[in-house]
Amino acid sequence: MSAIMHSDPALQKTHAELLYEAQLRKSRQFNVWVSATWGGLFLILVYLFSGQSILGIRTISLNLEFMQKNLSFIAGGVWQTLLVSFLSISMAIVLALIAALGRLSKFPPFYALSTFYVSLIRGTPLYLQIFFFFLALPQLGIVLTGLFAGVIALGLNYGAYMSEIFRAGLASVGRGQREAAMALGMTPWQTMKRIILPQALRFAIPPIGNDFIAMTKDSALVSATGFVHEIMWRATRVGRAQFNNLEALIMAAVFYWLMTIILTYVQSIIEARLAKGDR
Amino acid sequence: MAPIVKISNLDKYFGLLHVLKDVSIEVQPREVVCLIGRSGSGKSTLLRCINFLEDPSRGVIEVDGIRVEIHNGTTREHRQAVHDIRLRTGMVFQEFNLFPHMSVLENVIEGPVTVKGMDRKQAIELAEQNLDSVGLLFKKDEYPNRLSGGQKQRVAIARALTMQPRVMLFDEPTSALDPELIGEVLNVMQKVAKDGMTMLVVTHEMGFAREVADRVLVMADGQIIEEAKPDVLFSQPQDPRTKALIERYRSGER
Repeated sequence: MSAIMHSDPALQKTHAELLYEAQLRKSRQFNVWVSATWGGLFLILVYLFSGQSILGIRTISLNLEFMQKNLSFIAGGVWQTLLVSFLSISMAIVLALIAALGRLSKFPPFYALSTFYVSLIRGTPLYLQIFFFFLALPQLGIVLTGLFAGVIALGLNYGAYMSEIFRAGLASVGRGQREAAMALGMTPWQTMKRIILPQALRFAIPPIGNDFIAMTKDSALVSATGFVHEIMWRATRVGRAQFNNLEALIMAAVFYWLMTIILTYVQSIIEARLAKGDR
Repeated sequence: MAPIVKISNLDKYFGLLHVLKDVSIEVQPREVVCLIGRSGSGKSTLLRCINFLEDPSRGVIEVDGIRVEIHNGTTREHRQAVHDIRLRTGMVFQEFNLFPHMSVLENVIEGPVTVKGMDRKQAIELAEQNLDSVGLLFKKDEYPNRLSGGQKQRVAIARALTMQPRVMLFDEPTSALDPELIGEVLNVMQKVAKDGMTMLVVTHEMGFAREVADRVLVMADGQIIEEAKPDVLFSQPQDPRTKALIERYRSGER
């Protein structure tokens, strides 16, 4: 018995180490396979548009000259896309917060205003809303620039959807927090500002990031106004003019995709940092 | 001596449920009063009515000369009086309710700085004194998630004390704690009592009630059914419900 006891710890340790190594190997293998498959899929996609003919399969050939000539023009839309998205998300955050507070309010008109806004906006298409602000309002004598109309429509639309995020964030702060603040003698406003909102906002940051990424792509709808020179507008413009829609749209798609990958990466960093200081 | 807390003919309904029935109590300055009773007897509700975390339905509440007569509707005077009472009472919760986004020190100075408008430096000085007296000054820069339950509750006590209240209200302060952490919190509470604080404690800790309380109130069905000095209450309980309560405590159940 005692002999076993002596030898056991060393044995156990190596056994645990072996198990741990096997586990690591497994997860590493998984990652290698995922990367390899991504690479393979990407190569197939590129090959499909390479214009090469191998094994008797003809692939799509693109007008490379056109693409080279218009690359910088379409790339110039990235800045506009980000500008529209940034302005719209800022407006949406403010509206969403107000709507969420209204939704939790015990004051009937405020509650009604909030639910009315959310219902109206969620009950109509975003595409219609953009046209409404750009094309319908001038009939009433209100003329907005394409950028302005787009930002207002996107902001209003995302604000309605995002109000749910803030509502969940506010609801995630327990009743005990409010009571502790009240017991200290804080006013409702102080309680909201110092105790509830900081905790709710932290809860809301990851989903806000998701919505921002989604918005960079929905901002393409603003091109319909014809006056915001973002990626989509530029792609359709040069594509139609020279009947190279295929090339133009592929380039736009690549830009949107790249932007999404970069923004998703940035978001993962922010989330990791938030998680570190978690309660 | 004039009582520092005086509750007269208090009624409280939750919907149609009558949870406090014409309750009247008085607490003298520097007195430690324990409220015991089975869950659902109304003891926590009574405590929470004192600083208006629950709105009483009827009656009069008076704390340190601030008198609030309960009637329908809230006037400005009513709100001001409620605020004044909250400034005079410190509250310790079962679930601690520390602010998770603030460090220990920030938790403790939050009340004095935001509510009382105290100078930050002065508040920190006071907070550090109180953190020291609960034995947690060395944790002042930690966040609550890094503390044990017992440490959280001691910080919560320091937070309440730093508001310099006249009365401390404890709402089952050890009920959410692991058994081995209860002692450290009770010790701190005993120290606060010794320093002369008026305390009203809702608790299941009969040992604490017996040792530290000047007076024990027993609640059942929304009423105070018995009230006595602890040695008398524990040796000669009168009401059968009190007897049953003490019996269960003796047999090791809580």
